[in-house]
Amino acid sequence: MSSSQSSSRLPDPTSPLADYRETLRAWLDANHEALAPRYDPPGSLDDRIAQMQRVKAILFDAGWMQFGWPERVGGRGGPPMLRTELGAALAARDLTDPGLFSLIEVLAPTLIDFAPPELAAEVVPRLLSGAELWCQGFSEPDSGSDLASLRCYAVPEGGDAGTASTWVINGQKVWTSLAQFSDRCVLLTRTGPVDSRHRGITAFFVDMDTPGIRVAPLAMINGELEFAEVFFDDVAVPAERMLGELHGGWAVAMSILPYERSSCFWQRIAYLYRRLQRLVDAAPDDDRAAETVGDAFVSLFALRARSRATQRRLAETGAIGAETSIDKVLVATAEQTTYDAVRRLLPGLIELDDGATGEVWRSEYLYSRAATIYGGTAEVQRNIIARRLLELGSDE
Amino acid sequence: MIDADERAAMEATVRRAIADALEVAGEAADIDAALAELDWLGMLEDEPDAAIDIVFSALGATNATATALDDVMASALGREPRADLAVLLPRFAAWDPPGRIDADELAAQGLATGRADGAGEMLVVFGSESEPWSVVVPATAAEVTAVRGVDPDAGLRVVRVRGRAVGATRLEPAAWQSAVARGRRAVAHEIAGASRTMLELARTHALTRVQFGGPIARFQAVRHRLAEALVAVEALEAALAAARDEPNPDTAALAKAIAGRTAHTVARHCQQVLAGIGFTTEHSFQRFLKRTLALEGIFGSADAIVLEVGRRLLATRHVPTLIEL
Repeated sequence: MSSSQSSSRLPDPTSPLADYRETLRAWLDANHEALAPRYDPPGSLDDRIAQMQRVKAILFDAGWMQFGWPERVGGRGGPPMLRTELGAALAARDLTDPGLFSLIEVLAPTLIDFAPPELAAEVVPRLLSGAELWCQGFSEPDSGSDLASLRCYAVPEGGDAGTASTWVINGQKVWTSLAQFSDRCVLLTRTGPVDSRHRGITAFFVDMDTPGIRVAPLAMINGELEFAEVFFDDVAVPAERMLGELHGGWAVAMSILPYERSSCFWQRIAYLYRRLQRLVDAAPDDDRAAETVGDAFVSLFALRARSRATQRRLAETGAIGAETSIDKVLVATAEQTTYDAVRRLLPGLIELDDGATGEVWRSEYLYSRAATIYGGTAEVQRNIIARRLLELGSDE
Repeated sequence: MIDADERAAMEATVRRAIADALEVAGEAADIDAALAELDWLGMLEDEPDAAIDIVFSALGATNATATALDDVMASALGREPRADLAVLLPRFAAWDPPGRIDADELAAQGLATGRADGAGEMLVVFGSESEPWSVVVPATAAEVTAVRGVDPDAGLRVVRVRGRAVGATRLEPAAWQSAVARGRRAVAHEIAGASRTMLELARTHALTRVQFGGPIARFQAVRHRLAEALVAVEALEAALAAARDEPNPDTAALAKAIAGRTAHTVARHCQQVLAGIGFTTEHSFQRFLKRTLALEGIFGSADAIVLEVGRRLLATRHVPTLIEL
């Protein structure tokens, strides 16, 4: 397909969301053969990443990847919900893994909001088109839920933060998804005193091929090498790669939350509906199965309704905050409920089946156990709900 | 459609009117009269979705008892609602039409609000879910028994109707399901209101009850129970908002099922936080708990709806997403 032919049929970015959605879905269905994976599921992680980059390239070429992104980074403009619709439509068709695809939502906005404009204009299209892959270096071995305690150091070369043209980074990150595949990293570093907490953190945009960076993939519970440890040994980063202000890294990290809790969740929800559909395709036709799939369906509907309300509020007011901890609890609960339903209704599949179907369900089931851990544990979410939403005061 | 400001104003007016009535007369308050003064029937006619949402949330939040559900059902079934017309509701935990024709005679059994005591006529739907008929019978055809049950203040009645279905009209095939959907949304809103209040009562208790030298709200075990309750209430309110934006039998059924689950979750956590005092009739918590137990069975319990919904998923082998952004 040529891009000129395709773009003639693209909707206006300001058209009603329902019209955009309909045109998008029709286009994806019409181009399904070109977009579908070239391998039999589940495929290796390498297969799935190659698939995602290939899909992004096709969509970029056809113009769809650019909807909802500002024009100054090569986008077509329009509301961010257009991106959400695209990610959800891909997840609903099993064209990409939303966990990988939606990383765009927690990376590109950071560059758009905090990088020098010319840098953002140069690199964001490369992320959208599948030419590059990026990762996010936040967590550290001793900084999990307590992110403000991170201590991967960035020091100005020559000692003067105001005039240094280079910063030197030393330390370690962990749980960095796709680090070994990535071309760049949005990295949080300690630039203030040891105990400066969230006031002494600075973000950098680091090229992963910089000398001194070593990536050691970690095998997850399902055997996949999706995340990694990343070691920084005297890694020199140009000062113009600083994102936001010096010591302003906490604001950079927090700015991601609205994207993570809106678009990423909606893509996850589309994926979970697809998983429940697969279960419903295979489940026995009895009342025990009916209760189990009914239960998962009810959980998913409540989650979808909540997420929809959150995104509408974000679109109207431009801001969402602590109340999205409720969305986070619901998405984690619904995900585990869905996979628990699979294990209950298809006995032996997850535990014993060495065929492709068993491989897929087993891998996803094991991954779903992390839903109450990543992105802020279920306990941290409940602490936030208690303190910020219920105003129960300090727990200390 | 009314906008957010108009809606907030309506909500405040309704809450104030109900609170005033309760303050003046306590449990004997005539909430129906207070609603009539607010032109509830006019609201129901002009803005049925907003009217149901606002009035039933307020009834639930204040533990007030009214017979407004009769009006919701009558208007949904195409009849002019009026104080003199009661409606026969399905049996507890069921949602099929309460009546059937047996040897040329109408035989019906179900629940009703307190309106059944004094109303001159009762609207009865009979037949099957997909081939419903309706008829208005004189009060003399209905045998009305007040139910004490778990919540004597809920004002529920068990009703048996026997008589001839004179002047019965055949309803549209979807009419009963649409009416049940309306009724489910009303009851789910009432449960949501009651759940909100249960949470607020437990929250207040956690902040004021001092043990081991400070309020129990500082204990993470207590905080997490209340957080869990808030998650449930907020999810229910979102489901109800979605069911209002996309009104159909499916979204209403899901909202009602979520309401039942929510009431159970909220009551369990809040009662544990309230501990001893929540186990007494001195504290108002028990009234809300009992009301949600009674309401759970109107138009189907959560378990029954979940089973029905699951059966349909398996029969069609299709999982609909139902709502979009």
